[in-house]
Amino acid sequence: MLMPPFELHHPKTVEEACKLAANLIDEGHSFDWVAGGTDVLPNYKWRINPKPHVISLASIPDAFVLSSTEIGCMVTLDTLVATEDAHPLLRQAAAKVASSLIRKSATVGGNLCLDTRCFWYNQSEDWRRSIDWCHKADCGTGADCRVIPNQNTLCVATYQGDLAPNFMVLNASVLIVGPNGERTVDVASFYQLDGMKKNILEEGEFLLKVMLPKDAAKREGCYQKLRVRESWDFPEAGIAASWIPGESDTLQIASTALESIPKEHSEQITQHLKDNNGAIDVKTMAVSIQKSVKPVNNTALPPRYRRSMVKTLTKRALMGIMKEN
Amino acid sequence: MGSYRQQPGSGKGDQRRDGKRVAGKQVFPPPGSGGSDPEMRPRDLDFIPETVGGREPKPAGDHIHDRDRTGTTVGKPMALVDSNAKVTGQAWYGDDVRLQGEAIGKILRSPHHYARIKSIDTTRVEALPGVLAVATGEDAPNRFGVLPVTKDEHAMAVDKVRHVGDLVACVAAVDEATAIQALSLFDIEWELLEPVFDPKKGLEDHDEPIHWRGKYHLARTNVQKRVFQEFGDRSLVKAPHAASHGSWTMAGVHHGFTEPHAVVAHWDPNGRLQLYTPQQVPHYTHRALSTVLDVPMHQINVVRTFVGGGFGGKSDPFPHEMCAAILARKAGVPIRITFDREEVYWINRGRHPSHIDVKMTADNEGRISGFDIDALIDGGGFASFGHVTSYYNGVLATAPYELGSFHYTGARVWTNKPASGAMRGHGAVNTRCAVEVGLDEMAEQMAVDPIDLRLANLLPPHSRTISGFRITSNGMREALTRVREGSDWDNKFRQLPLGKGIGIGCGFFISGSGLPIHWDPKNFPHATVHIQVDMDGGVTVHTGAADIGQGSTTAVAQVVAEVLALPVEMIHVRSHESDTSPVDLGSYSSRVTFMNANAAIRAAIGIRDQLLKAAWEMLGYHPNVLVLNDRRIYYKHDPAVGVSYLQALHKAQEDTGALIARGAYRSPPMGGVHKGAAAGLAPAYSFSAYVAEVDVDVETGKVSCTNVWAAHDCGKALNPLAVQGQIIGSCHMGLGQVLSEKMVYGRTGHLQNANLLDYKIPSVHEMPHVEPIIVESSDPEGPFGAKEAGEGPLLPILPAVVNAVYDATGIRMRDLPLTPDVVYKGIEKHLKKIGLDDPLDLETPTLTHGPLQQQLVERAKEHEVRDRLRQRSEDTSAYVNGVLFGFDPNRPLSEQVEGWREADEPLPEQLAELGFAGRAWLKKEQRHMEDDA
Repeated sequence: MLMPPFELHHPKTVEEACKLAANLIDEGHSFDWVAGGTDVLPNYKWRINPKPHVISLASIPDAFVLSSTEIGCMVTLDTLVATEDAHPLLRQAAAKVASSLIRKSATVGGNLCLDTRCFWYNQSEDWRRSIDWCHKADCGTGADCRVIPNQNTLCVATYQGDLAPNFMVLNASVLIVGPNGERTVDVASFYQLDGMKKNILEEGEFLLKVMLPKDAAKREGCYQKLRVRESWDFPEAGIAASWIPGESDTLQIASTALESIPKEHSEQITQHLKDNNGAIDVKTMAVSIQKSVKPVNNTALPPRYRRSMVKTLTKRALMGIMKEN
Repeated sequence: MGSYRQQPGSGKGDQRRDGKRVAGKQVFPPPGSGGSDPEMRPRDLDFIPETVGGREPKPAGDHIHDRDRTGTTVGKPMALVDSNAKVTGQAWYGDDVRLQGEAIGKILRSPHHYARIKSIDTTRVEALPGVLAVATGEDAPNRFGVLPVTKDEHAMAVDKVRHVGDLVACVAAVDEATAIQALSLFDIEWELLEPVFDPKKGLEDHDEPIHWRGKYHLARTNVQKRVFQEFGDRSLVKAPHAASHGSWTMAGVHHGFTEPHAVVAHWDPNGRLQLYTPQQVPHYTHRALSTVLDVPMHQINVVRTFVGGGFGGKSDPFPHEMCAAILARKAGVPIRITFDREEVYWINRGRHPSHIDVKMTADNEGRISGFDIDALIDGGGFASFGHVTSYYNGVLATAPYELGSFHYTGARVWTNKPASGAMRGHGAVNTRCAVEVGLDEMAEQMAVDPIDLRLANLLPPHSRTISGFRITSNGMREALTRVREGSDWDNKFRQLPLGKGIGIGCGFFISGSGLPIHWDPKNFPHATVHIQVDMDGGVTVHTGAADIGQGSTTAVAQVVAEVLALPVEMIHVRSHESDTSPVDLGSYSSRVTFMNANAAIRAAIGIRDQLLKAAWEMLGYHPNVLVLNDRRIYYKHDPAVGVSYLQALHKAQEDTGALIARGAYRSPPMGGVHKGAAAGLAPAYSFSAYVAEVDVDVETGKVSCTNVWAAHDCGKALNPLAVQGQIIGSCHMGLGQVLSEKMVYGRTGHLQNANLLDYKIPSVHEMPHVEPIIVESSDPEGPFGAKEAGEGPLLPILPAVVNAVYDATGIRMRDLPLTPDVVYKGIEKHLKKIGLDDPLDLETPTLTHGPLQQQLVERAKEHEVRDRLRQRSEDTSAYVNGVLFGFDPNRPLSEQVEGWREADEPLPEQLAELGFAGRAWLKKEQRHMEDDA
């Protein structure tokens, strides 16, 4: 497999990166950001939306910050797993991503900004030509979605990152920087329901770091991941839950790998607590989370099964955090 | 310490006492064989059979090769002789070959499942700067195929493409980027045809069958091969005491070898083709190249590179090998083609996706009265080995059990998918799984232990199966007994809590195909080995056997070292080039150790006899009283009276120069005369029994295999370390098929997971603890008693796991692989059936022995005595399948029982009741349709 040619840029500071991005935009060049490269570069080898310019974040010191409340986008998953200051839930989730070898390169930023996946899309150019392309990588043909044909407005490729739901249940936010300045948004608001747009990043913007509130440390969390193999595999479904032990109104649940974006489930929790007078009933809570997700047929395991498993995963996540309560 | 020295003379040549050179004389020491270990090691009696004076136990009796043992290497664990090259990265695999001035070849592949090529315009391709050559199907109209009866492949599509990824054209360019760019410049006009994906649809008539076989074509269907075989007394299956009927769907799986296909072709200045390729079967590639290129075989040298795993997936001659040769001829420079992983899946040749229906019955004495197997296998776009697979799916189930009757219908159909072919355990794996699970089910109905059921129904050593296979050595009983003990079976089976299970499965496999594919056994041997020993004492062995990682080179080095009593480091195996290697039929059907090592032993004996004759002349003692031990030959009663190996060698070559010897192996005539009788014939068979333990998460359906006790009868472990490696590796591969691996064809017929992320080969985390148990039944015709260990060990792991999942959940699953969704679906269905909600409330099966149990245990005990006597040739009476049912083995069975049949075609009255594959028999061949018309 041959990597398509591109120009690689190495800005040394956030400002330089933003300026570089602005210049490329002005000159009409398209580009991608790259952190660890374990997602972007394999896609490039498959000729999936490669760009002529790639800006690496690997030389920007600010992207490597790491403390109990701040995690830079360039922090590798392997480093996160090994960092005692990091929240145990994040360490637990990061340890379940891909394989030990990939975690040496893969980063927190890359995992959060992971491209959505679909078996009609994550294929070679020859393969995609044989299906006359798809909506997400249509090569200018205006091709239809292959998962749900006869609609070409929304891409339903699945977001299969592991970290996002865990950041969500810890109430984390992300710092986004770009030529027009910086902004901070909740991780839950970072994602945008469309497998192509994926998140709210505008052209030229990148995710610099994730920030955790101080009280996140009080939270007890659990992440349940469904996959066929205990290594390499992306989640087929993932449920993260956390709470401040004993305080049911602090319960947070988020899911991943079930739709185009990771999803936090505060609506279901609020309703549940209301129905149960503030108490948590694991079984009915699990059913209500299951009912709120709608996976489609574009990953390794069938959607009906993945949806069924949401109940089991939620149950196990809740039991995981409520061990003594 | 100290012993007799190996090196003649001082090793210093002619020197003065003061160390200075003698005037006019060069220092030219005689070559030594001692190296850093100049003294003879004592005879290793632990590895010399007790039958010839050593201490190695021979429970199975003496062996014809016992007197050729020297205690040097056989039976001792050792690293493979090519392992240093591999672990240091110096082994040269297909893509490591780099020739001066080479260019890159790329293949244009079909974007359509099934289409006719109306025209190909290459003008734009040829105009691209950097393009050196372009070729299309027109450049190579000759057909080829691994089997002479089904040559249905071309180098590139002629007229039609038959699956997405099929080869359309190829291009050579100065670099890969240019070649890739060139692929987009072909202008092709297509006529799309109606594809077939479902093998059941392949049984029906089609406007445009995928291939056309003329007068032999079966109506207008896509049936490539149909098989009917029936043996025994079918009346026995009526009113059975126990019966099992299972319908299985087994997904296609791929070999998943590490090294993708790669080939380099170069026409040398004399116009000879040098083709470098990681091939399991270089000889068939050699033949196919000759046919396709219209070049005599002697003008082609096939160089087998190191092979980064094959497992059957590198045993066909491949179209890309032809493409490289065609492009190199056109471009005038060497051409290298290396596949992407996706292309590896597109060329496929993996295990056939199969629908298998197995009906089994047992009588009131717990005897197996009938196997009724129907196997519909999905061949994909080409025949490959499929003709053989069609037979193997049935006939390889005719042992290790004694059967009252056997009925098999099989059909292989072409579909518009990448071609299926041979894969480790060729044709035997899927049916074996279905049969072993059926036995488990019948054992449950009869309230007996499934291991005891098996032990009471085994064919003995030196017997004949119902299909006419000659069984020689047979370690099945010992294998079953040892896994039972090792796993603590009696305290676990049907006694573990919900979610924990234990299961048994057995295996039976050929040790070399008795009838070679491309050969006339009357005229040529299966394997030939040449040995040459020159004055330096090193032994050069020329063999065509293809080491594909299984250790065939090591096996040859070992047996030669054993016979000549030389350290294995002194044996140099040359096996890479067809120019210098005698023809070997290749690494398939688990034939290499059996056949090639037998040939090597014979060649080594030829060298040994020349050495002994020289020693006789030197010592005056007849070879009968001479001993070979560690680079020395001496009088057996006085080791001081002897000569070193080199002295004997130099004496032997005084008049002839280097010693030369050759050895060959040809299997004896065997088997019946019915159509298809040769399929499954082998000079020996391996037997295996595994017990697997699993954890089933009943809330998610996820199955983890935690422990495996794996007993395999390989006759004699020439290298126990290699045998253990094969057993563990087989477990890994079989676990992949049973738990996670499948080639997924989506609703549009496209292969959805042609990569190693989505094609889920188990990782190290999924690997159970495997306890390899080597059973040595000492095969009378095997080299030092050895049989195969490369494929058979894969078979039992599948049924052992499936049976263990039943033990853990009480649910029979018959869709492979047992991915979590499949298992969960099975659990959901079962819960619904029994009116439960929560899988944690499931009840696991229990076993209370019924009246038949004791009967089986007693019968097994009697058979144990019978088997021991037969194994040791103390009982040499005839035994054929049927004796258990009271028949006389000395008279034809058809004379003893009315209705005993040996048939290869169905009777008209049977047509209505045939299974899915059997329905192929409702159709007529074109020639008979014409007759009717």
